[in-house]
Amino acid sequence: MSHSLALGQRALREAWRTPEALVPTLFIPLFFLVVNVGQAGKIFPSASTGFLNGQGYGAFQLPSSLLLAASFGTAALFLVEEIEGGYFDKLRATPIPRTSIVLGRLIAELAKGLLIATAIVLLALPFGITIASGLLGFVLLIALTALWAVVFAGFMQLIALKTRSAAATNSGGLIFFPLLFLTPNFVPRDMLTRPMEIAATLNPVTYVMEALRSLILDDLAWDRIARGFAVVAVLGAIMLVLNVRMIRHYD
Amino acid sequence: MAERNDAVRAEAPAMRPADGAIAVHAEALVKTYRSRAGVVEAVRGVDLDVAAGEVFGFLGPNGAGKSTTVRMLTTLLSITSGTARVAGVDVAHQPDLARRRMGVALQEAGLDPRQTGRELLILQGRLFNLSHRDAARRAGELLELVELEEAADRRISGYSGGMKRRLDLASALVHEPDVLFLDEPTTGLDPASRLTVWDEVRRINTRGTTVFLTTQYLEEADQLCDRLAIIDDGRIVREGTPAELKAELRGRRGLSSDPSLDDVFLDATGRTRGGGAGDVREVSA
Repeated sequence: MSHSLALGQRALREAWRTPEALVPTLFIPLFFLVVNVGQAGKIFPSASTGFLNGQGYGAFQLPSSLLLAASFGTAALFLVEEIEGGYFDKLRATPIPRTSIVLGRLIAELAKGLLIATAIVLLALPFGITIASGLLGFVLLIALTALWAVVFAGFMQLIALKTRSAAATNSGGLIFFPLLFLTPNFVPRDMLTRPMEIAATLNPVTYVMEALRSLILDDLAWDRIARGFAVVAVLGAIMLVLNVRMIRHYD
Repeated sequence: MAERNDAVRAEAPAMRPADGAIAVHAEALVKTYRSRAGVVEAVRGVDLDVAAGEVFGFLGPNGAGKSTTVRMLTTLLSITSGTARVAGVDVAHQPDLARRRMGVALQEAGLDPRQTGRELLILQGRLFNLSHRDAARRAGELLELVELEEAADRRISGYSGGMKRRLDLASALVHEPDVLFLDEPTTGLDPASRLTVWDEVRRINTRGTTVFLTTQYLEEADQLCDRLAIIDDGRIVREGTPAELKAELRGRRGLSSDPSLDDVFLDATGRTRGGGAGDVREVSA
């Protein structure tokens, strides 16, 4: 584990020294939050929209922005850069477990995810958004977002290890957009058209989004929260196994 | 070609290292890849013995199998068939133990440009299980060895090509390996930087480290290597000391004076200085 932590520390230093890669992670999700609220806010006034539980439409949209931010991780792109530059081989030539190379970057993504999610939520609070589930809910909200960041970074690392190409890895990241838009992104699931509702029900991101949303709009709704964490746990385990397998067979 | 090569190698049995002091041993080493065009045989049965304490040169034209062989010996590439031992450890069966005994500096000077030289060396030390304190002390020693103390706390992205090579060498030495693999350590360097790297290699070797060096520069091999092997088309086609290989060619061709290592290389790989009509092969040497 000490090797993973040492590599995680390095990845965090790398992120700190590349602020130009971090800024869009914060800016673009906030941009989408403002634009989406601006476009649909009047359709869903808080006084007469039951699913908002008395909050503004921004509170309903915040989970989308959090998930978007969590899906902008740069770990895989830095990994490809290392593969192309030869440092990845330097790491592989050390006697550390192959899993440490994967875990190091994922630990850094977790730390970055915690910071970015906290920043976005704190920036949203002055605009009238409150976390209805309280302090515990706030902690769970940040934790779930950061864990999703790890899952998605794991997925991106898989593409990076398989293709060893920055272009392919970059393109692979775009898969998140269809996944995000096949969720109850603008309205609750029961208000979607039937085909969209089926698609959203099959989409695992839906359950993460609904868990995040319940933490913002409701008191602690443990069934929805548990579903969100369960999805992240299952997908996280799959990503970890596939990453480790990929790096062990890397030639 | 294979018969002639066997004959060349058989003429110099006295130079084969003694069994008790072998740092690198490869036997019938083969690497094949599957590609869209079919199966590619990159290395077709390499046998090698490198004595402890030697500087061993591994030469060959582009695509001959040099880097593939080095990557197999350094555990970075799986071995299709055959065996390889480095410092007495089977690289396929005990890769972690083998990694502790060898240092690796590959063609690309693989460094993390966002770290400082010192940070990179400390991290490398920690990955070889040194405590933070010991890793920092070792980093200081190595920075002094490769004369990078002044640049130690600057980011690597600002280093020149020569400085990067020296840092790469230093990072391969963090754990005091028995065998150091250098894959084309001077490719792309200016003459002054190249000479500095040569000095480093000599200094490392005099401290007792066996050096396994691939290069395309025959002058480099002539200057640095005690023995060398030439690989072409995945097979070893010559092996011996530079003097032996020159003497063998001189005798075989009935030349009046010793040929250069370039002549030995061209003879061994079937290349010519001008190239034949319609021959588009390029010889880097």
